[in-house]
Amino acid sequence: MAEFNIRADAVDVEQIMQQIRSRIRDKRGVDYTEEQIQAMAGVKLEQFLDPRGVRSDMVAQFRSSRPTEPVPTFTFDDTTLYDSHRTVVRWIRRLLRPLLKLFFNPNPLIQALHIQATLNADTVARRDLDALYYEVMHNLVLEMTRLSIDVKNLKMRVESLSSRLDFNERRARALESVVQYRSTPEADRPAVEAAPAEPRSSEPRGAEPRAAEPRAIQPRPEAAAGAAPEGPGQRSRRRRRRRGRRGTGTGQPASEPGGAPGGAGPASADEGHEPAEAGYAAGEAEHESPSPRDVPEGPDGGTPDSGDREP
Amino acid sequence: MKLAVVVQRYGADIGGGAELHARYVAEHLARHAEVEVLTTCARDYVTWRNELAPGVEVINGVPVRRFAVRAPRDPQRFGRQSELVFEHPHSVNDELAWLDAEGPASRTLIRYIEAHQDAYDFLLFFSFRYYHAYHGCRAAAPRAVLVPTAERDPAVGVGLFGPIFRGVRALMYNSHEEQAMLQAVSGNQAVPGVVVGIGSEIPDAVDPGRFRQKYGLNGRFALYVGRIDRNKGCDELFAFFQAYVRQASSPLTLVLIGQSVLPVPSHPQIRHLGFLDDADKFDALAAADLLIMPSYYESLSMVTLEAWALGRPVLANAHCHVLKGQCLRSNAGLYYADYQEFAATLRALESDGALRTALGDRGRSFFGRHYAWPVIEGKYLDLLGQLAREDRQAGGRRPHAIAPLPGWFARRAATLPPAREVLTRATAREAAASRPAPAIPREAHA
Repeated sequence: MAEFNIRADAVDVEQIMQQIRSRIRDKRGVDYTEEQIQAMAGVKLEQFLDPRGVRSDMVAQFRSSRPTEPVPTFTFDDTTLYDSHRTVVRWIRRLLRPLLKLFFNPNPLIQALHIQATLNADTVARRDLDALYYEVMHNLVLEMTRLSIDVKNLKMRVESLSSRLDFNERRARALESVVQYRSTPEADRPAVEAAPAEPRSSEPRGAEPRAAEPRAIQPRPEAAAGAAPEGPGQRSRRRRRRRGRRGTGTGQPASEPGGAPGGAGPASADEGHEPAEAGYAAGEAEHESPSPRDVPEGPDGGTPDSGDREP
Repeated sequence: MKLAVVVQRYGADIGGGAELHARYVAEHLARHAEVEVLTTCARDYVTWRNELAPGVEVINGVPVRRFAVRAPRDPQRFGRQSELVFEHPHSVNDELAWLDAEGPASRTLIRYIEAHQDAYDFLLFFSFRYYHAYHGCRAAAPRAVLVPTAERDPAVGVGLFGPIFRGVRALMYNSHEEQAMLQAVSGNQAVPGVVVGIGSEIPDAVDPGRFRQKYGLNGRFALYVGRIDRNKGCDELFAFFQAYVRQASSPLTLVLIGQSVLPVPSHPQIRHLGFLDDADKFDALAAADLLIMPSYYESLSMVTLEAWALGRPVLANAHCHVLKGQCLRSNAGLYYADYQEFAATLRALESDGALRTALGDRGRSFFGRHYAWPVIEGKYLDLLGQLAREDRQAGGRRPHAIAPLPGWFARRAATLPPAREVLTRATAREAAASRPAPAIPREAHA
């Protein structure tokens, strides 16, 4: 977390809390209350859901399709037509039932009404089930809304994380280079101290040697040795750097005038410490035009060999 | 001037916010006036058992007169009455029964106050919610000065207390939030009131190194001081802190000081040191990187003030209006309302040394301006002097302003709304009429 710019005489807790809350909002997206999600689910569904998949007015349609009046229901069986709450009447009807059947056949009517009564009962039962479906659908719509918001937020977080990852990778490469650069001062010192005693043959006679020149011209001990043993770590570091240069496309070929391997500028932004040393090499090239053989090392202090040169 | 401090418990070894508050006030006012403490024989605030002898004793130079409690508290009866009064419509008699069940019911104390009130210029009653304060204020209303130490809990909404808040001579509030709440509940704006608070006995020298060495604490740590109780928000603190160290991979340790009512989780970064004496407590505050106050209800957190006095920042629960208000007024603490805010604020305080230092500095100066003892004593003496002048101007006549209880039938009619509902409505009114807590003027800082 980037920290706060604090002066003891100007602390404002309210402002700090606003900053903290704003960062929290940025991190996790906007927090919606239950009412807001309900409103979004009902009104602005198309903004969050695929309109081809779910109808945004589904909930409203579902609600409007439900009948408001209760459906009357009844039972109907083979005795219903002759039934009565009066026992005498019921008895007389049962007595006269064969006579009635002489005039018409009531059985189909009885069966049809019985089926209708069963259907009515099913419909009534289904209404309760519909209410349950409605609840389920309603909750599904809400959950889909909530999830789509979450997905949006997660996408934002993934983007944020990937950018932070990129940044951290660049930072790691830069730190690696710093460690490499600082690991050689002991190796540098003898070269600097030995320089005045061993002037270069290509230097014009009588000219005052510049303070920086000997350091840049003189090969480091391991470079001067030529066949100095090279650790596998150095080789792999060079390879990594080369890849970085290729990746960024800012590297210069070693055959450029005065161009030591590694060129006159940093291969990438994470090698920002290198220009100092590369500058020495460039300065030397300007004044002394050494042959590539006289430029023994790249910014990493390694020994150039054919395998390490840029194509 | 002769003053009586009336409080539910009193003793050099009795902790608890209001009781310690009362003792500090009594001992400091004793330097300017004749002070006597009237209290009960109880030591335990849960049972109110008579554990100390009745009669007079002297504690730190202040005479203390103790009276026996009629009966210890019956927790089941108190729970039933609380449920009835807080959650359901009820009658005045129900509220009186609740007050009686809460205790410490000491009729002898009230009778003494009735009989001897003329011997005192003023009586300072601490903690409005207890038996002694209600009946004592009624018995000596013209001389009663109430230090309510009210938290935002349903007891504030109990109907009995409205006439008390409106009828005492003056109120000494602990915070602006407490004043606003009581004014919203009872409409007692006409009663003289001062936001005073309480000072603390901060030692001249503290030794954080000694504390770290004694308890083997090496790294950074956040401190909690107080009763480790669910009512103090400690369960939430444990959950938040464990989630924080897991997610942030933080090396911060949470150090707990105080008696534990709640089980402390077994976690390598949570250390419970138990109850410590004052020297260790102040060393701990000086050694800590910050103090966490997770409590939802506080009338005034003394340990928060002590942390500020020692230049330590505070992380407080934003749901506690008093703590949040103090953080804002002092600019010396951050606050959180949920886990995300807890993690972000704790992260900021843990990782940003400049922020900690700046908040701590502001806290130290805030304490010095508002809670140093000369300031507190001055506020008490000013108000009492003003009341005494009013009495003299009125020719010694002191009006009895507390409304009497309703009649026999009215007392039995269940017409009073639930206390929680009263508080909720008052909070809504307060929020509607709310304005930012009064900022401390710049010139006061100088």
